[in-house]
Amino acid sequence: MIGPWIAAFLTLAIFSYLYKDNPFYKVAEHLFVGISTGYWTSMFFWTQIQPNLFGRLWPASEYNPDTLWYKFYNVLGIFNSVFPDGGINKGHHMELLYLLPFALGVMMLLSVSAKLSWMARWGIAYTVGMAAGLRAYGFLNSNVLGQIKGSAFQIFNSDLPFFALASESIFNNFIILIGTITGLMYFYFSREHTGNFGKLSKLGIYFLMISFGASFGFAVMGRISLLIGRFVDLITYSGSAYNHATLWLLLAMILLLGYSAFSDKNTSENKSTLD
Amino acid sequence: MDKIFDYILKAGAIDRRWIFLIIGLAVLLPLFFPLGLPIRATLATQKVYDAVESLEENSKVLFSFEYGPSTKPEIHPMAIGVLKHLFTNGHKVYVTCLWPDGQFMADEALAEVAEEEFNLTYGEDYVILGFRPGNEAVVKGMVSNIRKLYTTDARGTLVDEIPLMNNINKVADFDFIFSASAGYPGTTEWVQYASDPTGVPLSTGTTSIMVNDIMPMVNSDQVQGILAGMPGAAEYEALIGSPGIGTSGMDAQSIAHLVIVLFIVFGNITYFIELQRSKKY
Repeated sequence: MIGPWIAAFLTLAIFSYLYKDNPFYKVAEHLFVGISTGYWTSMFFWTQIQPNLFGRLWPASEYNPDTLWYKFYNVLGIFNSVFPDGGINKGHHMELLYLLPFALGVMMLLSVSAKLSWMARWGIAYTVGMAAGLRAYGFLNSNVLGQIKGSAFQIFNSDLPFFALASESIFNNFIILIGTITGLMYFYFSREHTGNFGKLSKLGIYFLMISFGASFGFAVMGRISLLIGRFVDLITYSGSAYNHATLWLLLAMILLLGYSAFSDKNTSENKSTLD
Repeated sequence: MDKIFDYILKAGAIDRRWIFLIIGLAVLLPLFFPLGLPIRATLATQKVYDAVESLEENSKVLFSFEYGPSTKPEIHPMAIGVLKHLFTNGHKVYVTCLWPDGQFMADEALAEVAEEEFNLTYGEDYVILGFRPGNEAVVKGMVSNIRKLYTTDARGTLVDEIPLMNNINKVADFDFIFSASAGYPGTTEWVQYASDPTGVPLSTGTTSIMVNDIMPMVNSDQVQGILAGMPGAAEYEALIGSPGIGTSGMDAQSIAHLVIVLFIVFGNITYFIELQRSKKY
């Protein structure tokens, strides 16, 4: 029962910023940041570090309390929820190679120390290098080659109508062709944008502006959808099943913000009188 | 005429909080008094529907949840709609999450659709593999070997003990991928690292703001259609004949857009009046 009251309060607290910055908004903002960080850290640890890293270093399938490796593990057993008795049973075999990413991860955490922060560079360098290599292929294949392939279509396709508003047509093919070429011309800076070249690159700007306009329209649509989502929840929580949570909280907030505005006004008036 | 212009300029200088209030009312009132405006599926939505329809019965569908509470109103209705369509056609659903809060969304959507509406069995008809951090590295890992990445599902059960996971070792073992995406990592990463290299068809549902980024991939057939924000969800609900949250929000969406367009027109009129007067004097 308390969940909907908290949800309604936090939603109204965020909306209260539209009036002006106030303590309700600050509370909601700080809670959001804190809870998000806590949730992310917890998820990261329990879905990756514990099962996939520790689970590979000390797997239950190869548990042997007589070895030095597992004796060390049993010492760690004071944190029983992370290092349970008999090894970690997440379906892995022992892979000591994972000590390397473990060490790099620890080195990244050392960035908090002024003396040892240089070690963090190794971990970051590995991550950046790996990510760059990983992304280069995917980007080249899908965003460059895939798009070039996609724009290499038959303009005069006899199966298509000459003009259609909401489907493929020969007219649309022309628009794509002209838009792509003139758009690319705008980003060609090795030649001065004058004469016919300048006119075509200007046409490219218009295509870009239409694209930005569409992006703006979609952005507005997205924000309105989110507003609808919050309003739907607030309407739900205003029902008798939730003891009219939204209405009571809204009333309390209006009264408190109103009182605060009234007090501020009186204080500033007194101050100006004294001055 | 000058008096009218003065009124327009005066109205154009109102406190912005009045505009917030008007937009709020434009969204709120249609939720209380629905107008029932017609919903017609666009070509992009129809493509998603056709892609799901073309799957043979018992197809294995990888469904990725890449959104959280902040984008739930846009993506959740389409996730519900697509899940309903998949289960109605008798497909098996494997859920992964590239976002940590995606797991919450997946739990909620499957509890509503798979358990309550279709009464399906976990582990036999659907499975939630859960969240793994690593962004595109997770997608890449799934393409090479899912079992290396997922040894347990979201409920802690060993993957080897889940009947639905038999013969599932990599992305290429799936017949279809659906990405319910609100940003990075999401649809783009699935296209780049899973669908394009393996040839497994992929459809997506995204937030409105992502549509312009993904649409070129739809036009080049790298993505089989796109559900564009809440309207996309409403169109999909209309296609499967199951009106839901998406449909109920469309009246508010339309009215709010109308009001915003009017504000933009009004803002431009005041701009041109001011421009004209500054030239005059």
